[in-house]
Amino acid sequence: MATAAHAESPRETVAHAVVLTDNADEQRRLVSGLAGNSDPDIPRLLNLWKESGFFIATAPAGGWQGLAEGAKVAVTLGDDKDADDKQAASVLATGAPLRDPAGQPVRLVATDLDNADTDFDLRLAMKTVLDLAAVTAADPVQRRQVVEQIGLAQDPAKLPVLRERVKVETDAHVQQALRVAIALLELRSEDAATQIAATNTLGAVRALSARDALTTLARETETTRPQVARAAQAAGKAIETHLQVVNFFGTLFRGLSLASVLLVVAIGLAITFGLMGIINMAHGELIAIGAYTTYLVQNLFGNGMALSPFGWSFRLPGLNAGGWFYESYFLFALPLSFLSAALAGVLLERCVIRFLYRRPLESLLATWGVSLVLQQLLRSVFGANNVQVYSPSWLSGHWTVFDVLLGWNRVFVIAFAVAIIAGTWALLTKTPFGLLIRAVTQNRAMAACMGVRTERVNVLTFAFGSGLAGLAGAFLAQIGNVGPSLGQNYIVDSFMTVVVGGVGNLFGTVISALGIGVTDQGLQQILGNPVLGKILVLCAIILFLQWKPAGLFVTRSRNLEG
Amino acid sequence: MKLHRYLSSLLLGGALALCQGSVARAQAPTPAAKTTDTVKVGVLHSLSGTMAISETSLRDILLFAFDEINAKGGVLGKQIEPVVVDGASNWPLFAEKAKQLLDQDKVAVTFGCWTSVSRKSVLPVFEEKKGLLFYPVQYEGEEMSPNIFYTAEAVNQQATPAVDYMLSKGYKKFYLLGSDYVYPQTTNLILLEYLRSKGVPLENIGGGLRKDEAGNIISAGKYTPFGHTDYQQIVAEIKQFTSGGKACVINTLNGDTNVPFFKEYAAAGLTAETCPVVSFSIAEDEFRGLPAKQLVGQLGCWTYFQSIKSPENKKFIEDFQKWLKATNTQGIVKQGRVVDSPMVLSYDGVYLWKKAVEQAKSFDVDKVVAELEKGISFTGPGGVVTTQKNHHLTKSVYIGETKADGQFKILQEFKNVVGEPFLKGKFKAAVTTPVTNAANALAVAHP
Repeated sequence: MATAAHAESPRETVAHAVVLTDNADEQRRLVSGLAGNSDPDIPRLLNLWKESGFFIATAPAGGWQGLAEGAKVAVTLGDDKDADDKQAASVLATGAPLRDPAGQPVRLVATDLDNADTDFDLRLAMKTVLDLAAVTAADPVQRRQVVEQIGLAQDPAKLPVLRERVKVETDAHVQQALRVAIALLELRSEDAATQIAATNTLGAVRALSARDALTTLARETETTRPQVARAAQAAGKAIETHLQVVNFFGTLFRGLSLASVLLVVAIGLAITFGLMGIINMAHGELIAIGAYTTYLVQNLFGNGMALSPFGWSFRLPGLNAGGWFYESYFLFALPLSFLSAALAGVLLERCVIRFLYRRPLESLLATWGVSLVLQQLLRSVFGANNVQVYSPSWLSGHWTVFDVLLGWNRVFVIAFAVAIIAGTWALLTKTPFGLLIRAVTQNRAMAACMGVRTERVNVLTFAFGSGLAGLAGAFLAQIGNVGPSLGQNYIVDSFMTVVVGGVGNLFGTVISALGIGVTDQGLQQILGNPVLGKILVLCAIILFLQWKPAGLFVTRSRNLEG
Repeated sequence: MKLHRYLSSLLLGGALALCQGSVARAQAPTPAAKTTDTVKVGVLHSLSGTMAISETSLRDILLFAFDEINAKGGVLGKQIEPVVVDGASNWPLFAEKAKQLLDQDKVAVTFGCWTSVSRKSVLPVFEEKKGLLFYPVQYEGEEMSPNIFYTAEAVNQQATPAVDYMLSKGYKKFYLLGSDYVYPQTTNLILLEYLRSKGVPLENIGGGLRKDEAGNIISAGKYTPFGHTDYQQIVAEIKQFTSGGKACVINTLNGDTNVPFFKEYAAAGLTAETCPVVSFSIAEDEFRGLPAKQLVGQLGCWTYFQSIKSPENKKFIEDFQKWLKATNTQGIVKQGRVVDSPMVLSYDGVYLWKKAVEQAKSFDVDKVVAELEKGISFTGPGGVVTTQKNHHLTKSVYIGETKADGQFKILQEFKNVVGEPFLKGKFKAAVTTPVTNAANALAVAHP
């Protein structure tokens, strides 16, 4: 059997395995047999199989060339669909066209054939094969991942492959990963000296992945080889210490990213509530409008979408963009979210809020009503179910720096928050419009006397604050749910951040967001309980506001209303 | 408004029935004559509020089952007349609506509830007024009311088979994560006992443990509230947990909290190949609101998948789609509909009840329950289900893998699993000696 398998080319082996749909064990055996084979065709074939690129055809009455009636054969289909949806079929094993007994090429319809499926076990077997092949892959990131996984599997059989590689590896990161992987494999060695050397290596490079293996080793060798157990324990301790440092910085980063989310969500409110003094309960819905705009833009870049608001159905055509152009939809969604939310803000200000500038409590009730109306509107247009917003690939990866996980979406939100704060600060302090805003918010009557068109400044300021809420929505769509009640989840957080920071003070909002974010994540890390952390933060805020009712930074003005 | 309509239809129905009685012999039987002889059946689900997304599907499948039965002559010659009430995701309201169904409408049986808390709130009502409820959604067990039939998956028909499967695939570490309420908490406690009985040491169970003063474990795993959005910390923890390999996540998060979790999970570079997630609350129907792309390859465990290949299932799906097209009941979504386990278990419940009624030759709750307890089988879309004396069902359990189209590819089937509600304390830890030796001690024969 083994000789037969060797005689076959990998291509033939795969073709052979594909048709064995009833015998999963044999399929797995055949695929596993490809491990270590350096044929460059293997990764391509296995990946194609995984992506359902192979079909199983059964020979009809009369058979095909070389195939009796009823025999199964693995085929690939060409790209040339004709009018009957038929495609040219090639035999997978040889790559030659499939021919009928008369020698004519056979054309088949894809939907008539069985798609060659893969299951979990088979894909794991494929992964082993691909991993070994990938140790020599061109991409260092891929090489490193593969090496790490081989190390974790602790299969001593793979040791020679790694030892070969470590001699020629040039990339420093992969080199390190290789050393860790080799050490991990050597932990399984029979020789105590090798084991101790391996544990020392692992301890020295602080390999987090080796933690479990070392614990297991320490336990197994406790009685038989105490010196190995001691070395394993020492290495484990070193890693444990390292882990605490990693967790500290990790928590700091996560706290910073949570703070940025809070800040992005609250900055709009800091303007409409903080500077203008409007209690806008519909702030959350402005965020939701931003999120839904992102959803719309995504679909317009994709295949378009069908909408049926109020029983009136129509279809928005899409650009059918693909690749990087589709992935860049988010860059277009950001300004559009700002604009759509700002537009909603203008309508809200003109229709409702401008009548209520001197009556804050009424504005609370009225905007709450508006928020309910907006929620129902979103529900009527987009449906009650959540909609799906896909993160572009440049937002859904991560870096690992010093064993701390830095998600790209999180790095993005931090940069985003910094940019928004800088932009808002510059607008308020460096532009003529900013001067007008400050004048009107400090003393409306006096500003009016000086010839400032306060009405216009009000509209624009409110629109700016609303637009910032829309930007927040565009980002939130990347990390969470987009549904009609999206805003409700963030309205409390927004008000909390603004009030703690001190109403009317942007800098206070920044500090309070940072404080709340880092404290929340820190408590979560220490207590190991996401709920308890949040409760404690809220309690702390209540106590804090008892002590400083006006928040961190009190804005004093000569405004008589204040 | 609604109540009024029901009352008037009830009166009208009664009046018609009286007339019918007096003149029936003189008239040739007409379809109208047939419909007047009805039996009322309650449907108690949330048609509004947070649970509406899931529960309206159950209402739809029940109406479909009733129409199917009515078209074939009804139950004991009587047409089923559904009385649909809305629990509105409001648990005390569920109890009120249950009272209304039993007192005013005098329904013969009720199909309903989704969340455990809604079931717990109607339970005393059904027990006091001697009603009968069929409950179709997977739950935590530790309950067996004489007036409820649990067509739902018990923990040993979902959670423990899933863990068995993962163990058989060589997974050694289990991270428990769930929404903070009774079902995940109880299920994870049972799983903890189960895992330890299988020789998984305590240190290999992630998510954290909480102990009371006496040192007994009262909670295992990590819990987040409904609507939680920030999963950074938890995913970072899982990432570290899985750094040693051979780890998986047992996920009992409910509803849309799964979205931020899976988005963060994917962003951290965790995939089904490096650390698979087995979810107990994500079925085909939930995929309508989830990012399917980010879930590909993750696992699920239910007693039914739409992808089951059987003639019964094929017919069931086709008939349901046909019914959806034809129905004119208000508020039924017609596009993109799928079926899933809770829906099929609702459907099975209707047919089991029908069979029990026919065997008992009566709609009387006591007699019907007695027949159900004797063991009644029905070949449903998911295979044969059989009622048990303990008010649960014997049925097959499937492990499935998520595909990009929101369907599951079936990986393994556990045939005829007996539903067992009381599992706490049933699985004895393999050893009572220090847990660190659990793996070794497994090999030692029991004393």
